[in-house]
Amino acid sequence: MSVYAVNKLCRDAMRDPAFREALRRDPAAAITPLELTKDERSALLCGDVARLYEWGCHPFLLAYLPRWELFGLTIPLYSERIRKARDARDE
Amino acid sequence: MAEIVAAFGVPHVPNFPAQVAREGPQSKVARLYAEVAGHLDAVSPDALLVFDSDHLNTFFFDNMPTFLVGVTDSIEGPNDQTPMPHYRVGGHAQLAAHVRASGLARGFDLSLSQDFSVDHSIMVPLHFLTPRMQIPIVPMFINGLCPPLPGARRCYALGEMVRAAVKEWPRNLRVAVLASGSFSLEIGGPKVPHDSIAGTPDQEWTRRVQHLLAHAQINELLEEATAARMQRAGNIGGELLNWIAMLGVIGERKPRFIEPEVEHGRCYGAWRWD
Repeated sequence: MSVYAVNKLCRDAMRDPAFREALRRDPAAAITPLELTKDERSALLCGDVARLYEWGCHPFLLAYLPRWELFGLTIPLYSERIRKARDARDE
Repeated sequence: MAEIVAAFGVPHVPNFPAQVAREGPQSKVARLYAEVAGHLDAVSPDALLVFDSDHLNTFFFDNMPTFLVGVTDSIEGPNDQTPMPHYRVGGHAQLAAHVRASGLARGFDLSLSQDFSVDHSIMVPLHFLTPRMQIPIVPMFINGLCPPLPGARRCYALGEMVRAAVKEWPRNLRVAVLASGSFSLEIGGPKVPHDSIAGTPDQEWTRRVQHLLAHAQINELLEEATAARMQRAGNIGGELLNWIAMLGVIGERKPRFIEPEVEHGRCYGAWRWD
């Protein structure tokens, strides 16, 4: 698992307007050069933030994605999905 | 000789500057911040030692310090697109270097940065407390957001070390301490409310921490503020460690002013003994 690459993608999306625009225009193409696993690539493209969270991606960084509606994530959709994630803190 | 003259604790929500600009000086956040600023002005410190948790802006997973002292004479921010003015504040590099050396001599392996910017978690408090940026700061970063976090007792001991270091500083200098952070806050994690990416899941913990602060029940606070307890209060709950380090600097004192915003998971406080 290269959770690091997902975390970095989120931060780059916040900091780099050109990368953000590329993610918006063609998400699959924009993440092609990144060192992501097959599962991470697929979870990102589906906007499956619950799985990304469960794998250890930092929630503060994942929450950048709906700010610009990347990977189809609106704030209500992000909220709905992340609320269903397994929360290791409650176990 | 240098002395610790006061301590303060505030939250640092990125929206505060825009919110207060919109709602005016009578809004609650503006009034609470003005109260703390009044105490700070009254003691008129020469330097402000700030305990803060960076939000993956100054540091990232490629290089993540648990404790770090910023040793520089100039600091800019915010570096995270927070809607607020951009500032440059002086750093008290000599005091910072002394605190770091003193920590290393006492068993605190403090990391170092001499070139860094800071995010809203330092610039929002300074925007309200020292808007002229006239007081040089010594930033001390504690990892409060990326578990595993340092323990509460270790952070308290860090504060005690800082107190000893400041006392040893062989020049006249009035030093105040600032803690930045919330007690209950979840951003982007499973505890957020419907239709939002942020929430305050643990009002009870906020009430409890405020009570322990108000009565200077430090030992109880250190006992109760476990990693699991802080995480239950939200994935930003580790910011309490900054307050705990600040308490380590001043010891078991009661605040002159303390007011919570329980529904928002946060508190404002001022400790003075003049």
